[in-house]
Amino acid sequence: MSLQTRPEANPRCPRVSLAWRVLAAIILMMSAPAALAGSPERSVVQILTFSQTPIYDAPWRYDSVRRSGGSGFVIRGRRIMTNAHVIAWAKQILVRRFQDPRPFQARVAFVGHDCDLAILEVEDPSFFEGIEPLEFGPLPAVRSTVVSYGYPAGGEQISYTRGVVSRIEIQPYSHPGHRSLLAVQTDAAINPGNSGGPVIQDDKVVGVAFQGIPGLENAGFFIPPEVIQHFLKDVNDSHYDGFPMAGIRLVPLQNPAYRSFLGVTNDSLGARIDGILPGTAAESRLKPDDVLLDAGGLPVGSDGTVVYQENRMPVSVAFQTPQSGESVKLKILRNRAPMEVDLPVNVYDLDRLAGNQYDSPPRYLVHGGLVFTPLSADYLRTLGRESSDTATAGLVYELYYRRSEDPSKARPEPIVLASTLAHPVNADLGVRARAIVDKINGVKIERLEDVVRALEKNTEGQDVIEFLGRGGFECLDREKAAAANSEILSTYGIPSDRRL
Amino acid sequence: MKHVLFPVLFAAVFLSGFAPAQAADARAWEKSYVTLEVTYKDYDYSQPWNKPTRTIRKGAVVQPGHEVLTTAQHLPGATLVRLQRGGRGKWYDAQVKWMDPHANLALVTTRDELFWEGLRPAELAEVIPAAPDFNLLRWRDGNLESRRVEFSKFSVREGILSFAPRLTLEVNTELGGLGWAEAVTLNGEMVGLTSTKSGNTCQVIPSSFIRRVLEAQRAGNYRGLGYFDFTWGPGENPATLEFLKLKGPERGAVVTEVLDRPGKESVLKARDLILEVDGFPIDVEGDYEDPDYGHLMLENLATRTRFAGDTIPMKIWRDGAEKTVQYTLPPATYADELVPQQSFGHDPEYVVAGGLVFQPLEQSFLRAWGDDWRRRAPFRLQFYQNEHPSAARPSLVMLSSILPDPINVGYQDVRFLVVDKVNGKTISSLSELTEALQQPKDGVQRIEFMPGDSLQRMLLDAGGLNSATQRVLKRYGIPAAQNVVTPEAKK
Repeated sequence: MSLQTRPEANPRCPRVSLAWRVLAAIILMMSAPAALAGSPERSVVQILTFSQTPIYDAPWRYDSVRRSGGSGFVIRGRRIMTNAHVIAWAKQILVRRFQDPRPFQARVAFVGHDCDLAILEVEDPSFFEGIEPLEFGPLPAVRSTVVSYGYPAGGEQISYTRGVVSRIEIQPYSHPGHRSLLAVQTDAAINPGNSGGPVIQDDKVVGVAFQGIPGLENAGFFIPPEVIQHFLKDVNDSHYDGFPMAGIRLVPLQNPAYRSFLGVTNDSLGARIDGILPGTAAESRLKPDDVLLDAGGLPVGSDGTVVYQENRMPVSVAFQTPQSGESVKLKILRNRAPMEVDLPVNVYDLDRLAGNQYDSPPRYLVHGGLVFTPLSADYLRTLGRESSDTATAGLVYELYYRRSEDPSKARPEPIVLASTLAHPVNADLGVRARAIVDKINGVKIERLEDVVRALEKNTEGQDVIEFLGRGGFECLDREKAAAANSEILSTYGIPSDRRL
Repeated sequence: MKHVLFPVLFAAVFLSGFAPAQAADARAWEKSYVTLEVTYKDYDYSQPWNKPTRTIRKGAVVQPGHEVLTTAQHLPGATLVRLQRGGRGKWYDAQVKWMDPHANLALVTTRDELFWEGLRPAELAEVIPAAPDFNLLRWRDGNLESRRVEFSKFSVREGILSFAPRLTLEVNTELGGLGWAEAVTLNGEMVGLTSTKSGNTCQVIPSSFIRRVLEAQRAGNYRGLGYFDFTWGPGENPATLEFLKLKGPERGAVVTEVLDRPGKESVLKARDLILEVDGFPIDVEGDYEDPDYGHLMLENLATRTRFAGDTIPMKIWRDGAEKTVQYTLPPATYADELVPQQSFGHDPEYVVAGGLVFQPLEQSFLRAWGDDWRRRAPFRLQFYQNEHPSAARPSLVMLSSILPDPINVGYQDVRFLVVDKVNGKTISSLSELTEALQQPKDGVQRIEFMPGDSLQRMLLDAGGLNSATQRVLKRYGIPAAQNVVTPEAKK
């Protein structure tokens, strides 16, 4: 299943934009604004973002400036809540009030990429004059009606769409790319530009519109109050940590022989811990074949789900409720004996390169025209269709499989030779890109700083770069490479040979 | 007027494109080029006990001694082989006399003397002469068609059924449906048999290669193809040659990895520079100058005049000095790869136990994902192709699917997982699997999968396994619970 976040359609894709315009127009004609007691629309703002994303195989460069539109709403403390993807990689953020032509400059106060939420502040205090902050309500019930407010493509003014809550589940969040959190599905139209806008029920915010699934009709998703409140509580200390993870892989325990072997008597309760994520607190507290019976007061079904506010969903919801560093009380069965375990849960970032990268432009080093940069999901995307080629399979394995299969050999930051900037000093190299660096001058490369160290310490005639895989290596004449560096930087317009 | 003009124009074009020499060539070959029909058992990756059959027709070239020569493709697993002469009429029951999938060659015969009457063995060119184009022969609707194909190049490539590189003639043509052992000829001699076509390029097994294999086979000393079990890279980078302290002119290919074989140390080491192989100097691109075919990749020297087991002298540069080593060519065997290309000589292997379907992990399974299988087949299964076999795990067994049954409730969606252990025993073959399943502990069969992010283990009721297996066999119409070939039988 692929998900698509919903900032306003990229103006460079007119066909998509047109399609959304037509769709939005139809919806607008069909659904009248809900008759609400208050006027939440006055608190809903339009957000215009001018952003530039880095180019991961030429990490000193940025793509062309992209203009996109999203929505947001005013919350307590003279702040605006929106989606993280609305303001990601922003160079400038402008906000507009309801029926007010003036643009106001805004800046990001906090951003949670894992939960796709952000808080903005506006420099001009007059922006908030006459605007009442919206309050948050509870998780809406399935089948209840909600109204989405926002500034989707297809017009300039605020748009309202009404729908029912279709279901409430744990869903993959497409903005981080490798995290799943609680989300609410609705048939209220959530179109490009709706992102960050409030979903309202009884004059209270019960969600933030954020994504849809291409090809799935009448299905939009919003971030529920539980996730929003978690985010707001997290930033109370002026620092965003993120959502914690349990660090366990829980699988259904429904085979009669396995249930009997583990001494599980109740037919409907208890799922099995099949694996534990290295580097998490679970390593010292839980074991494979422990049976999880209860997590944070929620009985765990044999399929690994719990009933959370009348909705059945994966037990991971129980581990997303506490803040990072807090604990979840577990009831388990180990060796047929019941036990209680306090499991500390923390933010897990060892897989950060496997998710989408934000905020910090890619690190890199250019040496003799060889461009070294961390292997990341964003770098793999630069390969396009070739990312599934046999030649680049090693990159995929290193990024997504190595850590779980062979953790002792997993590198904190695998470094890839991203490209080679043509120059006589490197013209004869056979391996010129898309190769993971194993060693340089005998130094094992586990992060970009190792590349710097390995090159600086060398006193031999050649720099020897070894690659992971079939023992391939390349050599550079050390003195010539060093001497050519400034010329290469100048030729290719690279402002600095490194970003560490 | 349009309707009158078109046939006239068409005839003019047709006549000018069909040279008299080609027509004569085709007529001469009617006595030397025949049709082979092969009915063979295909592989059903999802139900390996199934034996769906397919029938194909391909070409074959008459050879001395009442034999016809063809490619080995589709002959492993053949249930019926028939020969036809003249592109029409009677089919003659035939027998495969000899076949080598690695060389992709086979000799077929028939005991029916009538078939051989008037047939004439074809001459195989000893060396393929330089020519801008060749003729390609194929039987179509009872007529032997001769079409011009353009010479493209000589290359050194893996075989269609083997990883062992060998000389390949590449020809360009827009003709479709090629690769069925069509004969490629020049001046009355056969210069090769087609093996496959991709785009406009058709690969041809060259006659010089075929002659050598057949001569050895007929003399009873064909030992199979050998190959170089090391990887190398070009020595084009002067800094690399300097790092390796090479003296003299720039030359040679750099050994990057040597296959680690238990109990047998290679005479080569990583970072050796290969300067000369079998008397041929190796240039910085890893090529040598072939006396017949010009620049070719050094890999060809493993099959040019040599076979498995032969010893080849190599001049190498190691530790700043030239050295001569004697390299013995290992035989190309499918077991040399952790994920073998395929295995021949037996029906597909499988074990059904309590509805769990186990198969050896082979490339033939991955190929079930179609022409684009390298992109579409499950990534993790594919990635095992990058690993080498070891003494501890020479091959892999996977759980390919599960046939739902009460005994396997809770696991029905599990598939494509490589087995690590069963009841504590490391598993690398189906023989080991069946043996391990005889030794359950604590009343359960414990199946563990390779470490990773996917399911790690499952337990099954040991007491009910056999009856469940029988139930599954009956319910799903499976003729037998297993087809397991011992490693000894595979050799």
